[in-house]
Amino acid sequence: MKKMKNAFSGLTLIKWLIIAFFALFMILPLISVFLVSFTGEPINLLGSLVDPAIFSSTVEKFQNASLDNYKQIFSNSGYADALKNSLFLAFTVTILVILICIPLAYGIARTKMPFKKTISALCTVPLIVPTFISAYAFIIMFGRAGWVTQIYNFLGGEGMLIDPYSMVGIVMVQVFFFFPYALWPLVAAFKISDVSLEEASQNLGAKSWFTFIFVTFPLAIPGVISSALLIFTVSFSDFGTPIILAPQNLNLLVVEAYREIAGFFNWGGAAILTVVMVIVAGFFFWLQHLFTKGKNYGSVSGKPKQQKLVEHKGLNTVLSIYSFIIVLVPLFAMLSVALQSVATTWGRSLLPNGYTLDHYKTIFNGSLGNITNSLVLATGALVLSVIIATFVSYFVVRQNSSSLDFMTSIPLVVPGIAFGIALIQTFNAAPLQLTGTAVLLIIAYTIRRLPYMVRSTMGSMRAIKQDIEEAAVNLGATPLTAAITIIGPLLLPGIAAGSVLVFITVIKEASVSILLAPPEWAPMSLAIFQNILRGEFYTAAAMSIVMIVIVLVLQYVAGLFTRKQQL
Amino acid sequence: MGSVKVNNLIKSFGDFTALKNIDLDIKEGEFFALLGPSGCGKTTMMRCIAGFEKPTSGKIFIGDQEVEDVPANKRNTGMVFQSYALFPHMNVFENVAYSLNIKQLNKSNPFKQASIYARLLNKRLGKTPKDIETKVMEILKYVELDQHAHRLTSELSGGQQQRVALARALVMEPAVLLMDEPLSNLDQKLRHSMRNTIRRIQQELGITTIFVTHDQEEAMSMADRVAVMDAGNIIQIGTPTDLYSNPATPFIANFVGTSNILKGTVVGEENGLYHVEGEGFSLKSTKKSTKKEVDVIIRPEHVQVVASDSIIDTADTNVIQGTVLMSTYLGSIVRYDVQVGVYQLVIDTTYSSGESIYEAGKEVKLTVAHERVLLI
Ligand SMILES: Nc1ncnc2c1ncn2[C@@H]1O[C@H](COP(=O)(O)OP(=O)(O)O)[C@@H](O)[C@H]1O
Ligand SMILES: [Mg+2]
Repeated sequence: MKKMKNAFSGLTLIKWLIIAFFALFMILPLISVFLVSFTGEPINLLGSLVDPAIFSSTVEKFQNASLDNYKQIFSNSGYADALKNSLFLAFTVTILVILICIPLAYGIARTKMPFKKTISALCTVPLIVPTFISAYAFIIMFGRAGWVTQIYNFLGGEGMLIDPYSMVGIVMVQVFFFFPYALWPLVAAFKISDVSLEEASQNLGAKSWFTFIFVTFPLAIPGVISSALLIFTVSFSDFGTPIILAPQNLNLLVVEAYREIAGFFNWGGAAILTVVMVIVAGFFFWLQHLFTKGKNYGSVSGKPKQQKLVEHKGLNTVLSIYSFIIVLVPLFAMLSVALQSVATTWGRSLLPNGYTLDHYKTIFNGSLGNITNSLVLATGALVLSVIIATFVSYFVVRQNSSSLDFMTSIPLVVPGIAFGIALIQTFNAAPLQLTGTAVLLIIAYTIRRLPYMVRSTMGSMRAIKQDIEEAAVNLGATPLTAAITIIGPLLLPGIAAGSVLVFITVIKEASVSILLAPPEWAPMSLAIFQNILRGEFYTAAAMSIVMIVIVLVLQYVAGLFTRKQQL
Repeated sequence: MGSVKVNNLIKSFGDFTALKNIDLDIKEGEFFALLGPSGCGKTTMMRCIAGFEKPTSGKIFIGDQEVEDVPANKRNTGMVFQSYALFPHMNVFENVAYSLNIKQLNKSNPFKQASIYARLLNKRLGKTPKDIETKVMEILKYVELDQHAHRLTSELSGGQQQRVALARALVMEPAVLLMDEPLSNLDQKLRHSMRNTIRRIQQELGITTIFVTHDQEEAMSMADRVAVMDAGNIIQIGTPTDLYSNPATPFIANFVGTSNILKGTVVGEENGLYHVEGEGFSLKSTKKSTKKEVDVIIRPEHVQVVASDSIIDTADTNVIQGTVLMSTYLGSIVRYDVQVGVYQLVIDTTYSSGESIYEAGKEVKLTVAHERVLLI
C-alpha cells in the first residue's frame, strides 16, 4: 500500500499527465491519420473506446481498408506529382542556399570584408518574417504591377523578370528567406576548420584559391551537409510560401493536402499526403541527426585558435558587394510591404501614387480582434509550454526519462500542415470534439513549439547541480515543493528565453492557424492570409507590418533579458 | 536528537557493491567520523542515511525508528554538502529560513500554503513571520553571520558559505547532522579554525554528528569515535587513541598516522614478553599475538635516538643498532631516516635547542619501549 502511494506522489502524477497529454494530442492523431490513409474515411479511435456503436462502425471501416491511396501515390497521379514537385523544390532550394551561403559565410568567418557587422545584422531580417508575408512581398516586387517589373520593362525587358506565381517564384522566396538557417552553421564550420592545416598548405607555396578549394572547404564539409539537410526539411515543410504562390497547375504536397481537407473534405487523400510528408521530413531529419550526432563542432580541438583574417582588398570588396546583394533582397521585400501599407494606391510605377495611414486605421477599427486573438492564443501556448517544458526538462535531466525526451522531439519532424490535418481529423467528433475551438489551436501551437522551449529550459536545468535540489529535500521539502521553490526560480532565465521564442513563433505560425483557427479566434496570420486571398493587399500589408513590429519589440525585450542575465 | 544504527547494510550499483555489509552504532550526541580513502563508500553511506540512496539490503534506524519507508524529506537529517549546495537565488537569511518555511508550509491549509509559496518565490510577496525571523537570526548570530544576513551567498568567502550551510542544517534541529567532507574546499588555515568551530558547536548543542572525511588528522582531532573504511568495508571502529595505539590492521596503522611496519616472526614467549625476529632486527613486545607471522608496527614518535656508545637499561626497552640516512629539522621535532637491517625507519624525536642532531652516516642506537612494539 505504501509503495502505491509513493508511485503516485505529486511529481510522478505530473509525469503521467504530461505523457498522457502527448499521447492524446500527438501520438493518437498521428496514429489516426496513419490508419485513415488505409480506410479512406475518418475513424474515431477515442469514440470507439466509449461507444459500442462507433466501435462497430470503426471495425467496419477497417474491414474495408485498402491500399488504394498508396497505389495512387505510386501511380502517375496528382499525388505522385505533388511528391515529385515537393522533393524537387526542396532539393533546388537546398543547392541554391548552400551555393549562395558559402561565399557569404566565408566572408563573415574568415575575412575583414567591409561592413561585416551590418551584413551580419541584415542576415537576421529573413528570420523575423513569416514566409507567407515574404511570399506576398515578392508579389509586390515581381508581380505584374510590381516595381521590379517596372524597372525591368523600363530597361527594355518584356513581361515579368520572374513570375512570382511559379515554381521559380517559390524557390526564390525560400532561398532568400531560408538562407540564414544554413548561414550560421556554415560560419561556425568555417571558423573552426583547422587553420594550421591551411597555413601548412600555404607554406608549401599553394595559392589561396587552391587552399580554399582543397583544404578549407573540405574541412567545412560536415557543416555544409548538415546545413543542407536542415534546409531541405525546412523547405519541404514550408506552407506559407507555396500556399500564396503556387499556381493551380503546380502540385505541391503541402498545398495539395490543404486543398484536400479544406476544399473537398477528402480525408483519405489528406491522410495519405500527411503520411508521406511525415515520412519524408522524418527521414531527412533523421539523416541530419545522424550526421551531427557526436560531432560538437565548437569544441573539436578545445579552444578555437586565434585565426588570421584575410585582408586581401580586392577579394573583400567583391565579397562585401556580393553579400549586400543577398541581404538586400529580403530587406527590399520588407520595405515594399511597408510602403504598400502606407500607399493610397500602388501599381505599375516605381513608388506609390500617394501616402496614407488609412489602412492602419482600418485595422485598428476592424481587425483589432485579430491582434488580440494572436496575443491571447500566443499567451495561452506560452503558459502551457512553460509548464510542460519545465517539468519535461526536469524529468529528462534528473530522471533520464528518454521517452519524454523523444516525444518532445517529434514535433520537430512533423510539418505543421500535417500535424494540423491529424488534429482536425482526430478531434472532429465526440467524445472529445475540439476541432474549431481555441483550445485545440492552443494545444497545437504548444506542441509544435515545445521543442524550442524544452531545449531552452533543459540547458538551464543541466546547469543546476543535483545537490542543490537534494539540499532542499533534506531540509524537508517534498520533491514537488523543491521543484517549485528552488528549481523553478533557477530555471527562470531559460524559461524567459524560451518563452519569447515560443511567443514569436506562435504569432508567425501560418499552417496550423490557417487550418485550425475558428473564425471568432482568427489570429493575425489567418487575417493576413485571408486578406491576400481576397485581394485586400493594403490591409494585408498594414497587418503584416503590425505583426513584424510586435515580433521586433519582443525580440528586443528578449535581448534585454539575456544581456541582464549575463551581467 | 537521536542515535543512528545501521545493520547489515549493503548497497550495490549494478554489479558494483559500494557498501558491503556495514554495521554502525552511533550513540546520541556522539561526534562520529567516517574515515577512509576517496572512493571507499563514505558518501554512499551518508546518502543512505539521508535517504537519497535506497539500500540494497539492511536496515537503518534513526532514533528508534526504522527509516526504510521514510522519504528523504521526512528523515530530519541535517546535511552539510561538500559543495555546500546553497541556494544561489536566495540570500543568507532566506537560505537559513528555508527549512522553517517548509515546516510551516507542511502544516498549513492550502490557502496559507499559497502565501508561503509566494513569499518563498519572491520576498516582496510576503513577510517572514516573526518567530522564524527570530530563530534564523539567533542561529546566524551563533555562527557569526548575523552581519551578513542579507548578502547573496555568492558574495561570501568559502568559510562564510560553509557556516551558512551549517546554520541552514542546524536551524531545523535535525536528529542527526551529516557532514560530507565539509572542510575539503577550504584552505589550510581556515580548515583548522573551522575544525574548532564545528567541534565547539557540536559540543554545545550536543547534536549527534556523522562527519565524513578522508583526512585522518581531521577525524582524529575532532571525533569521539572513528570508523575506518576501505573498499566498502568498515575495518575498525574506535576512539582516536584506540585506533592509534591498537590499529587492527597495517592499513589502519598507516592510515591513522605514519607507521614503521616490519615483517617479523614470533619466536617465543617469556614472562608475557613476545620475541619477534625479522631481517636485521630482534625485538620484544608486551603485546599478545596469536599469529606467528606478524606485522611489527612502531610509531615514529615512540622511538628515541641515542649515541651508539650510550648505556641503556634494557629491562623494559628494546635497543636496535642503525645508521642515520638523513635528518630533517622540523622546528620542534627532528625527523630521522634510519637504516635498520633491510628497513628504513622513520623516527620523530622532540628537539630542544642546544641538543645535537645526528648527521647522516652516523651510527646510532634506537630505543623502543616493549609496550610500544605492536604486533598485528
Ligand atoms: N550512483 C552511482 N552509480 C554507480 N556507482 C556509484 C554511484 N555512486 C557512487 N558510486 C561508486 O561507489 C563508490 C563509492 O563512492 P563514494 O561513496 O562517493 O566514495 P567516497 O565518498 O568515499 O569517496 C565509488 O567507486 C563510486 O564510483
Ligand atoms: Mg565522497
